[in-house]
Amino acid sequence: MVKKTHMENIRKSTRVFRVVWMTLVLIFLYAPILVMIALSFNASVSRSQWTGFTFNWYVQLFHDPTILGALKTTLEVAVIATVVSTVIGTLGAIGMHSMNTGMANALINVSYLPMTTPDIVTGVSLMLMFIFAHVPLGKWTMIMAHIAFDIPYVLFSVMPKLRQMNPNLYEAALDLGCHPIKALYKVIVPEIMPGIFTGALLAFTMSLDDFVISYFTSSDMYPNLSRIVYSSTKLGVKPTMYALSTLMFGTILVLLVLINRRTELENL
Amino acid sequence: MIQDMRLIELKGVCKQFGDTEVLHDVDLYIRKCEFITLLGPSGCGKTTLLRIIGGFEMPSSGEVLFEGKDMTGIPPYKRRINTVFQKYALFNHLNVYDNIAFGLNLKTPEQLGVTTKKEMKAEIGRRVNRMLKLVKMEGYEKRSIDALSGGQQQRIAIARALVNEPEVLLLDEPLGALDLKLRKEMQLELKAMQQQLGITFIYVTHDQEEALTMSDTIAVMNGGRIQQIGDPKGIYDEPKNAFVADFIGESNIIPGVMLEDDLVRISDTDFQCVDEGFGRNEPVDVVIRPEDIMLVGEDVGMLTGVVESVIFKGVHYEMMIVSGDYKWKVQSTTMQPAGTRVGMTIVPYNIHIMHRAEMDHIPYNERVTPAQSEEARP
Repeated sequence: MVKKTHMENIRKSTRVFRVVWMTLVLIFLYAPILVMIALSFNASVSRSQWTGFTFNWYVQLFHDPTILGALKTTLEVAVIATVVSTVIGTLGAIGMHSMNTGMANALINVSYLPMTTPDIVTGVSLMLMFIFAHVPLGKWTMIMAHIAFDIPYVLFSVMPKLRQMNPNLYEAALDLGCHPIKALYKVIVPEIMPGIFTGALLAFTMSLDDFVISYFTSSDMYPNLSRIVYSSTKLGVKPTMYALSTLMFGTILVLLVLINRRTELENL
Repeated sequence: MIQDMRLIELKGVCKQFGDTEVLHDVDLYIRKCEFITLLGPSGCGKTTLLRIIGGFEMPSSGEVLFEGKDMTGIPPYKRRINTVFQKYALFNHLNVYDNIAFGLNLKTPEQLGVTTKKEMKAEIGRRVNRMLKLVKMEGYEKRSIDALSGGQQQRIAIARALVNEPEVLLLDEPLGALDLKLRKEMQLELKAMQQQLGITFIYVTHDQEEALTMSDTIAVMNGGRIQQIGDPKGIYDEPKNAFVADFIGESNIIPGVMLEDDLVRISDTDFQCVDEGFGRNEPVDVVIRPEDIMLVGEDVGMLTGVVESVIFKGVHYEMMIVSGDYKWKVQSTTMQPAGTRVGMTIVPYNIHIMHRAEMDHIPYNERVTPAQSEEARP
């Protein structure tokens, strides 16, 4: 009997330890963001005094023409980059899938590289390339840069779907009278649609999320939201920036939860 | 009825994948309305042969003729052939109706014998419903593919192919994923459909029983070559070589020597047979089916032996009998307990003599170890 209570005690204390440890980790990760979110609702401009709850900063945010302009730019860039990279990435994945394994593996490794390269390296090198090619930095160079770093995300969402696909599906379409191109959009694309959609969602999220690459490939004439936040820190941060950052955090959070749920469902 | 017209003809078809030769100089013709089965173990080249006929693979050399015209370079979507794939390959994003209508929707109104788009829609509806009736799946039009069982998916795959009214239907182990009872039912149904529709069926399987049940003609394949072509009875009764004998049904395969016409020596015993035209003293393979060996009294048998083991198989008993240098498999409705000394007789026309097979490993009966043969002696 004594032994049993001893075991129970150990079990109890490990449980307590686990909870405490997890809480500490979460605090460490999220405390800064929680502080920011709290301050975005603080009536005072002060960063150390809570003087009351307000939505004022959020209201101001949507009356600021610079921020609204930046929001428009951000969304425009994200939508165009998502559409283009989804088309290129999907076609690329289908092409790689039908190649012989050696060649496909080489290409897959090459495509992985941009995902692991530090953003600052990608950003600087893209900037150098645009300058070298005499393309003035602006909205379109930013869009091109976003397309470039979005493609691998689409590629790696679509490839697993193609591998799971019954290899006879394409042949079945040909067998029933489809021309190869028709078989592609009537059978292959619908079959891998879940992967394409997840890829597009990821690309859109990465595009919204990006600061470093956008910073190097665009100019102050076409600021996106993250650039606005960054330049405002130089002048002393206004609480509207807290509100803006809170909204951006919330949007990305929702998108990521969505993507995770989709991948979980697909892997069932 | 099988017509005496060569619908498809393969001439000297070879296929290599890299360094491996999958098909070696295959000659084969398929008659109109024939149910032909390509039968063989996995890796024998049967599926590759089917894929070449379907247009999914190109032969490395040789040609494929359709009604006498070369169709080697013609893509699958231009062939009057449809396929039922091994894992069905149904389109999951479409419901049952749209799966079956897929091929028809790609046709022009004229091809379906109507003039307007509206009439075409009605005509497609009629044809799809006719097919659903044929495969006994009426009322399932709106179901999604995921909601169907394996057997139901199989029926839809057959309907999807047949609705296009192909000249030839290719079937690649279509019943492989079904349970035994369902498989037996589908075998009979497929055979009935084939006879009702008068379409040529080319069927691939590794199941010899399935092949014997359904086919007009069986082509037994091994190692990329056709070993024997013939009707099921001919293949079962007169296997051409040890491979065919071993693969189709059960058999005793024992090395022998042809002493002269109609006389063969097996295990130091001479047997009357009905085979002629072999060389004098030519080494041969002898095939005797287990059900063709009769158990008799010890003193009247052509061979004597000791029963080593008995297994009850339902209709008959299967006994392993040690006699001479080999273990013999014998099937009989009467049981002799293990340890009994028995005599065995075989009538001449049940002894099949074959030329030695060109195989790495001839599946001879198990040889008796010296200890066991001591036991078998009086």
